[in-house]
Amino acid sequence: MPLSDEALVATGIAKTYGATCALRDARLVLRQGRVHALLGENGAGKSTLVKILVGAVTPDAGHVELAGVPTTFGSVTQALRSGIVPIHQHLSLFPELSVHENLSAFALAGSGGFLARKRLVDPPRARAWLDEVGLNVDLTTPLAALSLGERQLVEVARALSLDCRVLVLDEPTATLNASEADRLFTVVRRLCATGTAALFISHRFDEIEALADDVTVLRDGRTVIDAAPIGRHSREELTHAMLGAGVEAPPERRCVRTDPVLVGRGFAARRDARSDISVTVHAGEVVGLAGLIGSGALALAAWLAGAQSGAGGLSVAGQAFASGDRKRAAALGIAYVPADRHVEGLFAPLSARRNVSVSALGTLARLGWLRRSEEAERIDPLIRRLKLHPSQPDAEAATFSGGNQQKLLIGRGLALPGLKAMVLLEPTRGVDLAARGIIHDAIREAAAAGVAVLVATSDLDELMVLAHRYLVMRDHLLAAELPGDAPRAALLSALSGSLAA
Amino acid sequence: MMTKRLFDLPSSLRLSRPPTVAVVCLGLFLMCCLLVPRFASFGNLENVLRVAAILCIVACGQAIVIILGGIEFSFGASAALASVVTVMVLPATGPVAGLAVGGATVIGIGMVNGWLVGRMGLPPVIVTLGTLMMASGIAAWLVGGLPLDAPPSAAFSWPARGRVLGIPVPILAALLACGVLHVLLAYGRIGRLWYHVGANPLAARLAGIDVARVTLLGYAAAGAFCAVGAIILTSRVASGQPALAPNLPFETIAACAIGGLPLSGGRGHVLQVVSGVLTVAMLNNAVVLLNLPVAWQLVLLGLAVLVAVGLQKDWTVLKRLARRAAR
Repeated sequence: MPLSDEALVATGIAKTYGATCALRDARLVLRQGRVHALLGENGAGKSTLVKILVGAVTPDAGHVELAGVPTTFGSVTQALRSGIVPIHQHLSLFPELSVHENLSAFALAGSGGFLARKRLVDPPRARAWLDEVGLNVDLTTPLAALSLGERQLVEVARALSLDCRVLVLDEPTATLNASEADRLFTVVRRLCATGTAALFISHRFDEIEALADDVTVLRDGRTVIDAAPIGRHSREELTHAMLGAGVEAPPERRCVRTDPVLVGRGFAARRDARSDISVTVHAGEVVGLAGLIGSGALALAAWLAGAQSGAGGLSVAGQAFASGDRKRAAALGIAYVPADRHVEGLFAPLSARRNVSVSALGTLARLGWLRRSEEAERIDPLIRRLKLHPSQPDAEAATFSGGNQQKLLIGRGLALPGLKAMVLLEPTRGVDLAARGIIHDAIREAAAAGVAVLVATSDLDELMVLAHRYLVMRDHLLAAELPGDAPRAALLSALSGSLAA
Repeated sequence: MMTKRLFDLPSSLRLSRPPTVAVVCLGLFLMCCLLVPRFASFGNLENVLRVAAILCIVACGQAIVIILGGIEFSFGASAALASVVTVMVLPATGPVAGLAVGGATVIGIGMVNGWLVGRMGLPPVIVTLGTLMMASGIAAWLVGGLPLDAPPSAAFSWPARGRVLGIPVPILAALLACGVLHVLLAYGRIGRLWYHVGANPLAARLAGIDVARVTLLGYAAAGAFCAVGAIILTSRVASGQPALAPNLPFETIAACAIGGLPLSGGRGHVLQVVSGVLTVAMLNNAVVLLNLPVAWQLVLLGLAVLVAVGLQKDWTVLKRLARRAAR
C-alpha cells in the first residue's frame, strides 16, 4: 500500500441538535502540507464540522481517520493530544497572563498534577516557537499588551508546542487588518511546508485564493464540492455551490424617501473614537448596516434601539429618548431584535405565544389584568403569518428550531404597539433557508407598511436582498454610504478598506 | 420528541416522562391511607391541613421569588421579627393593629430584598442571607433573648384558632393564598412579567420591561404572603419569639422544589406548590403517626427533595447511569 498523504479523512459525518439537522452527510479530506479552505454560508454546518474535528462535539454518525487510523475524540484535550490544534475566531488565550505563560498552557496542561512544580516551559523552547512564527516580543510581556494580530500569532506558536498535524483556523482573519493577516498567512504556509495540514475557514474569497490549495464547500449539512483544487471553480461557481437554488430574488430597490423616523447623532463607537457617527432611517426604508466583527456596527445598532448607552442624541418620530433607555425606546415604538437570540432574546421556558406577546402586554392588559383570549386572538394570526413550525403557539419556545425561535423574536418586534422603527441585529444568523425567506419577507412587509428598518449584519448576501441603502462601518467609524444598487465588490472593498475588491 | 429521551429499558418499565408531582402526591396519600394507622381519620387529615396551611401560604411567596429566578432565605427571620414587633406594640395598638404592624415589617423586609436584588443587581442568595441575619439579630436584641408573652385576647388568637363556617382560619387563609397566587400568575400582568424576568432578565430588559421594578414588586408580594403566615404563627404562639420558625425558608424552598419549580426560574404553577406542600405535610405526619423519632422528619424531607429534583432531570442522568451499569 502506497504511503498516503491524507492527514485527516472525515466521511459521512452527521449531527442533529434537537429539531435542527446541522450536518447530514459531510465529507472532508485534508492532505499533508496543504491548506484546505472550507466554504459554506451561515448555517451550512461549517462550525459544527469544525467542532467535531476539534473534539468539542461528538457526531451522531460518520467516521474520522487521522493519518489512516480511525479516531473518535471524546474531548478537546484528546484531539489536541492527537495533533489537531484549533486557532479560534475568538481568541482562546489568557490576556492577564504573560506570553510565556500562554505558550506553556498546552505543553504543561495535565502533565504535573495538582501540585505541578513547573509552570513554564523552558525559555529557549518558547523563544524558538515565537521565532518560528516571526514574532519578536519579550516572553514576559503581558498578552494584553499585544495587538490582536500578534495574539493570533502567539496562538499559532502555542500550536507548535504540540505535535501539530492539523491546524484548524476558524475565521482567523475576522479581527485582523490586512498586514496582520498577511503575516499570519506567511506563518501558515511555512508550517505547511513542514508537512502540517491546515483547515482554513473564511468568508473572503481573496484570502482563500491567496492561501488555500484545495477547497471543500458545504451546503445544508452536505459536502457539495469535495476537495477541489482551488483554481478549478470560479468565484461564481463556488458562490452558487454555497447558496444552491435557494437564492432569493433581489428586492425592488425603489424606496421613496419620506420623513426621517429614527435619528441618531454623534455616536462614539469607542471611547477614544471621534463621536461623529450619525444615522437617519426614513419611514418605509430598509437601511443595511454592514460591518465585520469588531467594526462597531452591532454596537451602533444597539445604541440606536436604546439597548446600549453611549454618547450622542437619539430620537424617533421627533421624540427624544436617552441612550440605554430600552423601556422608553420600546414605548416610543422601536422594536429590537438582538444579535444573540439565546442570551438576549428568547424566553426559553415560556410558550411561543408569550414570547411574542411580551412586547404588547401594555395594550393586552386592562388595569393590570391580562385578557388571555384577546392575547391569543391578536398574537396567533401573527404567528401563523410567520409560518411557525410546528404551528403550536402553546409549545415552549425552547422546543423550536433556531429558525423558528428567530421567527418568534421577529414576531415580538412586529407585535409592538405603535411600531415606528425596527432595529434588527443579525436577523437570520444560523437560520435555515426557508425561515430566512419568511423573515426577510416579514421585514420587507414591515417597511412597505411605513416602518423604518435598520438591519445590521455581517452577512452580505442578506443585506443585498434587503437593503435600499447601505451604511458601512469599519474600525468603529462610518466608512461609507452606498446606494442600494451598489455592486457587491464596492461593498466588499468598503468593508475591508482595500481599494481593490 | 419524548421517545428520544427514553432510556433503554424493557418496554414494560418505560415511562414516557417523569411522573408529575400531583400524581406522586396522590400516590403518597393513598399509601399513607393504607399503611399508616389512624392517618385517614377526619381529625388527623384536618391536622395535616392545619400544619400544611402556614407552610402553604409562605411557599406561595417563595414560589414568586423562585419564578423570578431568585430565592428567599429571610422568611423565617422576618416572621420571627414580626412576632416580636407585634407583641411589643401590642399594648399601645391593640391586637388587630399590632398584627398588622408585624405583617408590614415582613413586607418591608421583602421590599428591601427586592430593591437590593432588582435595583442594585446583588445576588438573591447573599441579599436574603444578609437580611435573614439582620432580622434575626434585631429580633433577639429587641427582646433581650427571652420570649415576650402577649396578653391573651380573642382577637389576637383568632388567626390561629378561629373558625369560619367550621373551617379553621389558617386553612381558609391557605386556600385564599393559593387562589390569589393563581390569579396573579395566570391573569396578572405583573405575574406574567415575573415569568419573563425569571426566564431571561437580559431579554426582558431588551423587550422594554422595567426589570428592577418587576423584581421589587415580586419580592414585596412574596413578603405579603409571608406576612400572612407570620401573623398566623404569631397568633398561634401568642408571644414574640426571636427563634420562631428557623426552618421556614428551607421548608418552603423544599416544598417548591418537590413541587417541581426549577430554581432557574421562569416556570411554576400554583398546583405544583400545593402538591409540594401537601407532600411535605404528609411525610411529617406519617413520621409522627408511625412513632418514628421526630428527627426523621428532616431526613425524609431532605430525601424527598433529592428524589424530586432527581426525577425532574428528564432521566438523562439515569439513562447514563443505566448504560454504565449495563456495560
